[in-house]
Amino acid sequence: MTVVEEARRTANGLRTASGSRLARFILAIGTIVVLVLVFRLSTNFGVFPESWDIGLADPIDRARRWLISNQTSHWLYTAFLNPITDAIDWGIRRLESILKWFPWYSYPLITGVGLWWTRGRVAGVLGLASVSLIGIIDLWEESFATLALMGVSVLISMIIGIPLGIAAWRSDAVARVVRPTLDAMQTMPGFVYLIPFVLLFGVGRVPALISTVIFALAPVVRLTEVGLRTVPQVTVEASEMFGATERQTLRLVRLPQARPAIFAGMNQTTMLAMSMVVIAAFIGAGGLGQVVLRAMQSIEVGQASEAGIAIVIMAIILDRFSTGIATADPGHDALALRWLAVAVTVVAVVGGLLGHNEFPESLNWQFAPYVDDATDWARDNLYDIGGSGIGTGPFSDFVTLRFVTPLRELLSSDVPWPAMIGIGVVLGLWARGIRLAVGIGAALFAIGFLGMWALSMDTLAQTIVAVAITLIIGVPVGIMTSHNDLLRTALKPVLDFFQTIPSFVLLVPVITLFHVGRIPGIIASVIYALPAAVHYTDLGLRRVPAEIHEAAESFGATRGQRLRRVEMPLAAPELMVAVNQVIMLILAMVVIAGLVGGGGLGLEAVRGLRRSDAVGRGFEAGIAIVLLASILDRLTRAIADRLRPPAAV
Amino acid sequence: MDTASETAQVRVEGVWKVFGRKPGEAREMAEAGATREEIQTTTGSVVAVRDVTFHVDAGETFVVMGLSGSGKSTLIRCVSHLVEPTEGRVELCGVELTRADHATLRNLRRQKMAMVFQHFGLFPHRKVVDNVAYGLEVQGVDRQDRQDRARELLDTVGLEGWGDHYPQQLSGGMQQRVGLARALAVDPEVLFFDEPFSALDPLIRRDMQDELIDLQMKLQRTLVFITHDFAEALKLADRIAIMNDGAFVQVGTPVEILTSPADDYVRAFTQDAPVAKVLQACSLMRPLDGTAVDPGWPQVSMTTPLETALPHLLGSTSPVVVVDEDNAPVGLLHGDDVAGVISENRP
Repeated sequence: MTVVEEARRTANGLRTASGSRLARFILAIGTIVVLVLVFRLSTNFGVFPESWDIGLADPIDRARRWLISNQTSHWLYTAFLNPITDAIDWGIRRLESILKWFPWYSYPLITGVGLWWTRGRVAGVLGLASVSLIGIIDLWEESFATLALMGVSVLISMIIGIPLGIAAWRSDAVARVVRPTLDAMQTMPGFVYLIPFVLLFGVGRVPALISTVIFALAPVVRLTEVGLRTVPQVTVEASEMFGATERQTLRLVRLPQARPAIFAGMNQTTMLAMSMVVIAAFIGAGGLGQVVLRAMQSIEVGQASEAGIAIVIMAIILDRFSTGIATADPGHDALALRWLAVAVTVVAVVGGLLGHNEFPESLNWQFAPYVDDATDWARDNLYDIGGSGIGTGPFSDFVTLRFVTPLRELLSSDVPWPAMIGIGVVLGLWARGIRLAVGIGAALFAIGFLGMWALSMDTLAQTIVAVAITLIIGVPVGIMTSHNDLLRTALKPVLDFFQTIPSFVLLVPVITLFHVGRIPGIIASVIYALPAAVHYTDLGLRRVPAEIHEAAESFGATRGQRLRRVEMPLAAPELMVAVNQVIMLILAMVVIAGLVGGGGLGLEAVRGLRRSDAVGRGFEAGIAIVLLASILDRLTRAIADRLRPPAAV
Repeated sequence: MDTASETAQVRVEGVWKVFGRKPGEAREMAEAGATREEIQTTTGSVVAVRDVTFHVDAGETFVVMGLSGSGKSTLIRCVSHLVEPTEGRVELCGVELTRADHATLRNLRRQKMAMVFQHFGLFPHRKVVDNVAYGLEVQGVDRQDRQDRARELLDTVGLEGWGDHYPQQLSGGMQQRVGLARALAVDPEVLFFDEPFSALDPLIRRDMQDELIDLQMKLQRTLVFITHDFAEALKLADRIAIMNDGAFVQVGTPVEILTSPADDYVRAFTQDAPVAKVLQACSLMRPLDGTAVDPGWPQVSMTTPLETALPHLLGSTSPVVVVDEDNAPVGLLHGDDVAGVISENRP
C-alpha cells in the first residue's frame, strides 16, 4: 500500500467517524419529530392518564397518622427516635442559652475584632455595624435561635463529615459507596429533604437539624477526601522514611496539608447549612427563617426584608469568618490582636455576669414601614407605569402568557405523554446510551404513576424558561469577563454576594416588585443561578491554553472567529457544566417559589409540609422533584461528557 | 563473593520490581531477554528493576547513574523499602528488610537511615526548624531537645537564622539544604539521595555537590546516591553503577568506568564527560608505598581537579604529591596515568 492510499484511508476513517456522529444526531432529532407526530395524529393521548395513579399518597398519610398516634408508645419512638430528638433538642437549647448568657455588645465586638484580624479594618467596622443592626431592628432573639441551630448543625456535620472523608480516602470500598451517595444528595433540592423527616419526626427543630446536616454534609466529606488525596506523595514518603507510624503521618503530615481543603469544605458546609436552616422554617425550625416565612405569607414585605437582611448579614459574616480562618496569616499584628481578644473576652465575661444580655430596647428602630411604603409605591407606580402598558405587571403577564403558559401547555398536554417519554429516551440514548435511556424512561413513567405528570411539566416549563433567561444573560457576561480582567474583578464581589444569600431570602425583594405568581420564582431563580452561569463560562474560556489563542491568532483569526471556532468548542464541556449547575440551582429555587404562588411541584410540596393531611401528596411531589432533578442532572452531565475531546490514550 | 561485602552496610541481592498484574510472566519474558516495550505490550506489566545485585560498604559513596525511566528511582525505593520489591533480598545494617515486620522496619528507619528527595519533600505547613526536627519528633524526642538539635544542623548546612521561615520562602538550593539537614538530624548510618540536586540551577548544583563532598569527608556515612548526571556521578562516587532498562550495565570506580567502559552504552556517556574537570587528584593517585617524597615536587590537595594538576605534570618527569588537609602527603599523581585517562576519553 502506498503512503497516499494510506493517508486517504485514514482521512475516510475520520470522515465516517464524524459523519456517524452527525448522523446519530439527525437520527435522534428525526425520531423525536416522528414520535410526536405519530402520537399526535393517531391518538388522543394528552396528559398522563389519571387512572394510572398508583396512589402513594394514601398509605403515606396512613403512616403519618399511625406515627402521630404512636409517638408516645411505640418502641421505635420510645427506644430510638425520642432519645435522639431529646438529645439534639437539649444540645440546641443548651447552646442557645450559652449564647444568650453573654452580653449583647460582645457580639458586635467579637465580629468586629474577628473580621479586623482576618479581613482588615474596613471589614471589622462593617462587621461591628451590621451585627448591631440585627439588634436594632429587633431580631436579636430570633437570630440566636438560628445561630444555635446553625452551630449544632455545622458541628454535627463536621463530626460526621471529617471522619467520613478520611474513611473514604483510606478505603476505596467506602469511597465507592460514599461518592455516588453524596452526588445524589447534592442533586436534590434542599427543600425536598424536609419531607421525609417531617414524616418521621413531625415538625420542629430536630427534623430541621437532621435535614440540614444531611443537606450540608457533602462538601466537607468530599473536600476532606480530596485534600487528603492531593497531599504530595513525596512528603508522605519523607515522613515514612523517618519511621513515622501511619497515624503519625496522618496527624503530622497529611491532615495539616489537607487543612486548606478541609476548611474550604467547612465553609461550603456552613453556607449550605445556613440556606437550609432558613428553609427549615417551613417545618417549624423557628428563628429568622420563620419571620421571613410568616411575613411572606401575609405579604408584609417590610418585615420580610428586615429578617431577610438579618439573614444575609449572618450568612456573609459566617462566610467571611470561615474563609478568613482558612486563609488567615497568623503572623500579622498578632500581639495587638491577642490583647484585644483578651480584652473582649474579659468584657464578655464581666458583662455576662452583670446580666447585660438583652439588647436595649431604646436602640430599636425599624425600617419595615419604609420598605412597606416603597413596596406600595412600587405597586402603585411601577406595576403599570402611567397606564402605559409598561411596567412590572405587564412584563409578568408578557412572560407568563407568551412563554411559561404556552410551554407548560406544550409539555403537559400538546405533546402527548408517550411522546414526551420517547423524547427523554431518545435524548438519553443519544447522550450516553441504553442505560441512561432506560433510566430516564423509567423515571418519567414513575412521575406519571405518582400522578404528578401535569405538575412536573409545569415545573419543567418554569425551569426551562428560567434556564434560557439565565444563559442568555450569563454566558455573554462570562465571555466578556473571560476577556476582561477589570470587569471580572469588578463583578466578583457582586456575584459572590448573590451566592452567599440563602436562596429563600432572594424571593423577598422580587415579590416587592412583581407580586406573587410564577414570575417572582423565575426571576429569583435567574438571579440565584446567574453567578454560576457567569463563573463557569468564564472558567471554561480561561482554561483554553494561551498557546491555542496565539496559534489561532497567528492564522489571522478575528476575535469573533477565535471565539466561535476555537474557544467555544474547547470550552464546550465546561459550558455544559455551567448549564448543569444552572439547571440544578434553578430547579431548587423554582420549587421553593411554590410558596409565593409559583405553582407546580413546589406548591404541592409546600402544602405537604404545612398541612398534616397533605403530607402524602407532598411526599409524592418530593419524589417527583427528585426524579426530575436526576433526569436533568444525568442528561446534562452525559452531554457534557460527549462534548469532551477524546482523552489521551 | 568479594571480601568487601562482608562489611557491607547495604546489601542488595537479585532484586526485581514489576509493576502490574502479571509479575511472574513479565519476569520470565525479561529473563528471556525481552525489552521493556515487548513485555509491556504482551503482559501490561512494567519491569522497572531487573535482577539488581550490589553492596555498599560503610563510609562508601555508591552512585546509581541512569537516564529517566531506567528504574533508578524505583531501585532506591526498593532499597529503602518505600516500595516492596517483587523479588530479591535487601539487607541494611545487618537486618533483612525484605523479611522485617512493620515495627522492625520503622525502628530501622528511625535510627539507621534517612533520605533526601528530588523535589525536596519538605512539609510546607511546618517551619524550617520543625521540618528538620521532624524525624526526632516522630521518635518522641521532646520539643526543646529536638529544636536545639535542628538549629545546630541548620548551622551545619549554612542556614543559621532561617529556622523560623517556611520552606516556600527559601530558594531551591536552600530548600535542599533543609532537606539535607532534616536527613542528618536523625544521625543516620545510611543516607539515600534520590536525584537531590537535579531540580537546582547548575551553579547551585555545583556548590551543593562540593558541600556534600566536604560533609562526607567529615561524617563518613554510607551514601546511596541516584542521579541522571554522569559528571555528578564521577565527581561524587567511590563506585558507580550505570543502569539501563532496569538492570545494571556496569559497576566500577569512576576511573574504571572511564578507562574501560563495558559496552557502547556506557562509552556514549564517557565520551562526553569532562574528565579533566570532574576527576580529582585523589581518584587517580597511587599510594605512596614508602616512596620518599622530594620536597621540590609540586603539591596539590586531594580534591584538586586533574585540569588544575595538569600544568604541574606537563614538561616535568616527576610526579605531583597529593596531600591531605593537614598537608601530609597521601599519594602520588603520575603524568602517564592522567594522560591515559584523558586519551581513553577521546577516542
